[in-house]
Amino acid sequence: MCASVKYNIRGPALIPRMKTKHRIYYITLFSIVLLGLIATGMFQFWPHSIESSSDWSVQKRSIRDVPVVRLPADSPVPERGDLSCRMHTCFDVYRCGFNPKNKIKVYIYSLKKYVDDAGVPVSSTISQEYNELLTAVADSDYYTEDIARACLFIPSIDLLNQNALRVKETAQALAQLSRWDRGTNHLLFNMLPGGPPDYNTALDVPRDRPRRYFLLSSQMALHPEYREELAALQARHGEAVLVLDKCTNLSEGIPAARKRCHKHQVFDYPQVLQEATFCVVLRGARLGQAVLSDVLRAGCIPVIIADSYILPFSEVLDWKRASVAVPEEKMSDVHGILQSIPQRQIEEMQRQARWFWEAYFQSIKAIALATLQIINDRIYPYAAISYEDWNDPPSVKWGSVSNPLFLPLIPPQSQGFTAIVLTYDRVESLFRVITEVSKVPSLSKLLVVWNNQNKNPPEDSLWPKIRVPLKVVRTAENKLSNRFFPYDEIETEAVLAIDDDIIMLTSDELQFGYEVWREFPDRLVGYPGRLHLWDHEMSKWKYESEWTNEVSMVLTGAAFYHKYFNYLYTYKMPGDIKNWVDAHMNCEDIAMNFLVANVTGKAVIKVTPRKKFKCPECTAIDGLSLDQTHMVERSECINKFASVFGTMPLKVVEHRADPVLYKDDFPEKLKSFPNIGSL
Amino acid sequence: MQSWRRKSLWLALLASWLLVLLGLFPLLRLAVPTSPRAGAPQGWPRWLDAELLQSFAKPGELLEDGPRPPQALRGGSCNWGACFDTSKCRGGGLKVFVYPAAGPVSETRRKILASVEGSRYHTLSAAEACLLLLLSPDTSTGECDPVPPQWDGGRNHLVLSLHPAPCPRTFQLGQAMVAEASPTVDTFRPGFDVALPLLPEAHPLRGGVPGQLRQHSPRPGVALLALAEDGGRWHVAGTDFSACPWDGRCEQDRGPKQTHPGATLPNATFCLIPGRGPDVLHFLQALQAGCIPVLLSPRWELPFSEVIDWTKAAIVADERLPLQVLTALQEMPLTRVLALRQQTQFLWDAYFSSVEKVIHTTLEIIQDRIFGPSAHPSLLWNSPPGAILALPTFSPSPSDFPFYHLQQGSRPLGRFSALIWAGALGQPPLKLIQAVAGSEHCAQILVLWSSEKPPPTGWPKTAVPLTVIDGHRKVSDRFFPYSAISTDAILSLDAHSSLSTSEVDFAFVVWQSFPERMVGFLTWSHFWDEARGGWGYTAKRTNEFSMVLTSAAFYHRYYHTLFTHALPKALRTLADEAPTCVDVLMNFLVASVTKLPPIKVPYGMWHQEARPPPLEPGGPGLRQEPQPAAQNCINQMAAGFGHMPLVSSRLRLDPVLFKDPVSVLRKKSSPPPRSCLTPTPAPDPLRFHSRVCPLVPTLFMLPRKVHRQAPGLTRESREGTAVSSSLWPGRCATNI
Repeated sequence: MCASVKYNIRGPALIPRMKTKHRIYYITLFSIVLLGLIATGMFQFWPHSIESSSDWSVQKRSIRDVPVVRLPADSPVPERGDLSCRMHTCFDVYRCGFNPKNKIKVYIYSLKKYVDDAGVPVSSTISQEYNELLTAVADSDYYTEDIARACLFIPSIDLLNQNALRVKETAQALAQLSRWDRGTNHLLFNMLPGGPPDYNTALDVPRDRPRRYFLLSSQMALHPEYREELAALQARHGEAVLVLDKCTNLSEGIPAARKRCHKHQVFDYPQVLQEATFCVVLRGARLGQAVLSDVLRAGCIPVIIADSYILPFSEVLDWKRASVAVPEEKMSDVHGILQSIPQRQIEEMQRQARWFWEAYFQSIKAIALATLQIINDRIYPYAAISYEDWNDPPSVKWGSVSNPLFLPLIPPQSQGFTAIVLTYDRVESLFRVITEVSKVPSLSKLLVVWNNQNKNPPEDSLWPKIRVPLKVVRTAENKLSNRFFPYDEIETEAVLAIDDDIIMLTSDELQFGYEVWREFPDRLVGYPGRLHLWDHEMSKWKYESEWTNEVSMVLTGAAFYHKYFNYLYTYKMPGDIKNWVDAHMNCEDIAMNFLVANVTGKAVIKVTPRKKFKCPECTAIDGLSLDQTHMVERSECINKFASVFGTMPLKVVEHRADPVLYKDDFPEKLKSFPNIGSL
Repeated sequence: MQSWRRKSLWLALLASWLLVLLGLFPLLRLAVPTSPRAGAPQGWPRWLDAELLQSFAKPGELLEDGPRPPQALRGGSCNWGACFDTSKCRGGGLKVFVYPAAGPVSETRRKILASVEGSRYHTLSAAEACLLLLLSPDTSTGECDPVPPQWDGGRNHLVLSLHPAPCPRTFQLGQAMVAEASPTVDTFRPGFDVALPLLPEAHPLRGGVPGQLRQHSPRPGVALLALAEDGGRWHVAGTDFSACPWDGRCEQDRGPKQTHPGATLPNATFCLIPGRGPDVLHFLQALQAGCIPVLLSPRWELPFSEVIDWTKAAIVADERLPLQVLTALQEMPLTRVLALRQQTQFLWDAYFSSVEKVIHTTLEIIQDRIFGPSAHPSLLWNSPPGAILALPTFSPSPSDFPFYHLQQGSRPLGRFSALIWAGALGQPPLKLIQAVAGSEHCAQILVLWSSEKPPPTGWPKTAVPLTVIDGHRKVSDRFFPYSAISTDAILSLDAHSSLSTSEVDFAFVVWQSFPERMVGFLTWSHFWDEARGGWGYTAKRTNEFSMVLTSAAFYHRYYHTLFTHALPKALRTLADEAPTCVDVLMNFLVASVTKLPPIKVPYGMWHQEARPPPLEPGGPGLRQEPQPAAQNCINQMAAGFGHMPLVSSRLRLDPVLFKDPVSVLRKKSSPPPRSCLTPTPAPDPLRFHSRVCPLVPTLFMLPRKVHRQAPGLTRESREGTAVSSSLWPGRCATNI
């Protein structure tokens, strides 16, 4: 291989000196080798993709080859279902057992054709929809081929349409299933029993255009009593209400299901549903109504006038947000009830109805997966999908923030805080910081994170003697992230992250910072503030450390925060931010600011006028260039993090927190925090 | 020539070898089976003739199916639509009449009666009521009540029993709804009956004990699990808990244990409550303690399950899979544990901590059923401050409330309405109106004229519309939800107040960050007066505060609705009688909703320290200490609320560069850069809010280029629209 490649490289140079016939010979040879190489390459990659494709492994068979099972007339009929069944009485959870992924396993019986004694088929083998449904299940994560490991069984006997069934024979067929056992853990799909779902109609996505009718009824087979009520409604409210019925005088060849009539006016169905704001769903031939899906699809708000109708997936879907339920007795009031709904709520309901349709009813696959998810949630309730995940449309989900510390709670002062000092080897400065911090009354523990692997921390006897426990944690690697690790030693909720060279902060300032944190336990509470700005010329974010009237970040050189954010920083930081920070040895504070602002949706709190950690006089002139590169790097961090988060989570505020009597004309000795430094 | 031939032979050889190899590899690949399952039937087959399959129903096939008549009422299964007559409620919404008790009244019953009577739905006439409340027979008297006079087959009746009925019912329930503690799932009619919590005998009437949760996250080293035991006790299990003792059936080897016989509240992260246990009290104890209830196949309906999403606060697991539950609890992510813990506390505080809350929640559920589409959305029930404090009549959209902006991804409107309360007053407060109208955020000014004299005519011309509303000479009027108020924010002012435009601007910007709180300038603080054994409050300047005066404060207009429609009438009357009480009452209300302190912003030194109480012309001008009557009012309020809701704060929110000695330093070091030379008048009281130039050393460190670019720098909001470019207005210098 290697040799031929080498030869190829030399080849072209030889060609001009050769005779014609040789040249042709060589060119042929050369092209063969080249083709071979290409083919080799193709074989290296091609076969894998073929193997992983599902088309390769799944059998392709014909429906006609399905084995036939003869049901003797006297084969057992299963007993009637137990109506008082509950999940914890009739469902055998032991089959589901322990499952690390909290996913149920679903088995599908292989397809058989059942015939009775006379050889007449019990039902049509399988309908297109049921095949689609089973295919969706088989393609999902729930599917298993191993009947012994399955916890839920789906028969391949098509029960979708109750009308097309021979009930007794079908029951006999079900009883034949190998794991039937009175139907335990079996899932039967008997959807939309009352009418044709008509999934093939091409229908535009409803637009937000004015709808001509306020209330529309499109059902055909209605009881005369309902008809009368509807007619009365129409008589009372005129144009706003449209009641449609079956067309009596349609010419041949036009499917009756696609037309509706009002007197002699003919309307296209289901397109006419798009013309109405509200659409009536009445008790029809069966309780479950196909019209509901037509209505949802048209973006019309269903008005359910059918007491005790259990709406689809009502266990998880909040139908109050997408429909109006009117008791049957109040049918005559329906117009008044609907009129009282404000326009904004109507729009909200339309959006919600559309979202329900798109997410859960649009296709057989969506229906199948939602069904399995609901059963899965029942069996593994601790891993269940939340109300918001089921019901909030994506636009709401995107914009909303669920603060992990949402409970308004001011932790007791007695809890105190844990100071975490990240240090490398500046022992002298470290000791000063420890001594200073230990003067803060609410300090309850001091944790030194020793980030130097080459050097041992000083002996115990050398450490300053302080009144609170002092623990030294040695790290395995010199990483900035170590500062934000959720150490077991942290017992308090409040954490003070402090650098080993910050000695300027007074005890009053730190104590006050802790008090402020108690009032804002879900925020970063820090001293010097920083700002992010949008640079229009460069079209990117810029880090700003000048003293402006606004703040969007605080430095974590000294900052209070909830220890939960340590957990988030270490385990839930999005993207590669953590590695980026460790690689660049910078911006860990910006990352923390981003993280907290992103999960809480709230701004930081800057405490006291403090603007710098070092004294303002000692800014060295030679720090200039260093400072420039530093700023560029920090700006780069902001841009990087904003792209990882996909948004700019930081919030800008114009306030800082001071003690109530700060700079007030009041005797200093009566103030709680008299010694608040400046700058 | 020979060499060419040889070379060509070599080449041919190489090429053929290559070809052989190429041909061989795929063959090898085929020969060795890659998958051990090859050949076995896999998955659901892709039918070759799937196209030929029939659709399960042909369109039009079922059209002739027989129609069904309206459902006839079946005896046992009442539902809301069939058995409740909402036509009676149409006029004034829900009106509740409670049958008076005959004979001696037990403690529990007295509490229930008091709660219903304190509710805004209560009525004294059975004729105008749309819900008739029948308290179930009492435990203590042991007598069973006769059928009440307006029974009418139980229609529009709610039979309420906080404790399981001790004697069999003497009459058929008929169409009455049942609100019962821990009903069994078999008899419970969802959407019709109401499931109540089983309350202990000594449950307080009002206020109630707040939740025991003191921190958001579980304390390290706290037990993972506490098991409910008979008699209301808890058995706390260690973290390395052996999985045997689930419902007391297995006695041996309980693992490392520490039993607290006296402790009534569990101290653990999760509380395991067996489903068939007779003692459902455990459930409430766990909620109160902030211990996440783990219910094993409960046979009883969870309280208020119609509206409360219990999956957010408890775990309902299958009792048959104990090991799996235990593993799931151990491995539950911290984020979920935190959320569940906090939700238990929220629910306890909002719906369960007192008899009054339980009763009001029950009525609120019935009210929601009557409202139908305009009922509380699920969000209002399941997030703080809870449905009792979030009135659905205020708005159908949660983003209009001050509480749900985060969840909704919305923000409050960027304008405010100034509401100036003018009592006895000769002429319009010109200076104040000008200062407020000067704010860029001001949308309108409303003057609430509350004096016997007709309002003067000489109102100043302002940039924003000014409306005079004629009030009813009552102090509580100032918190009436006037329809003229069009913005989310209200700046409540007295005609005596004096504020500057920059103070108003800054306070409003702060309010936008805290739309659910009150943001004010002047503060009071409350304290427990040991000597008098009661609460007191002071206007003296102290290191903390808990109330802001509504003579100059920003708050959300929702609090007007809440003040007028949700507060008990008695409290509002009290405030009308003692005018300073109205501030206390408003602060109580907001604090009981938010559970947080108000926010103080700085106020100029030259202003008066406190205002004269309204409606007291010629009264003491500077009131340092509230009057004794006012001192009394805080105690009456505290009694009315059942607890002291006020929370103290020790901080004030100042502008970022508030009173910074920035320019002083600059003077020392170098002359200011040219761009900073815009002068401002020296005695400007707005000093704290004026834009300040950066300190010179910092400026020097910045590259020149950036400095020149600076005016082009703006920040952008999340949506990408430019929000503020006022960062460098004039690069002004400060004047200290």
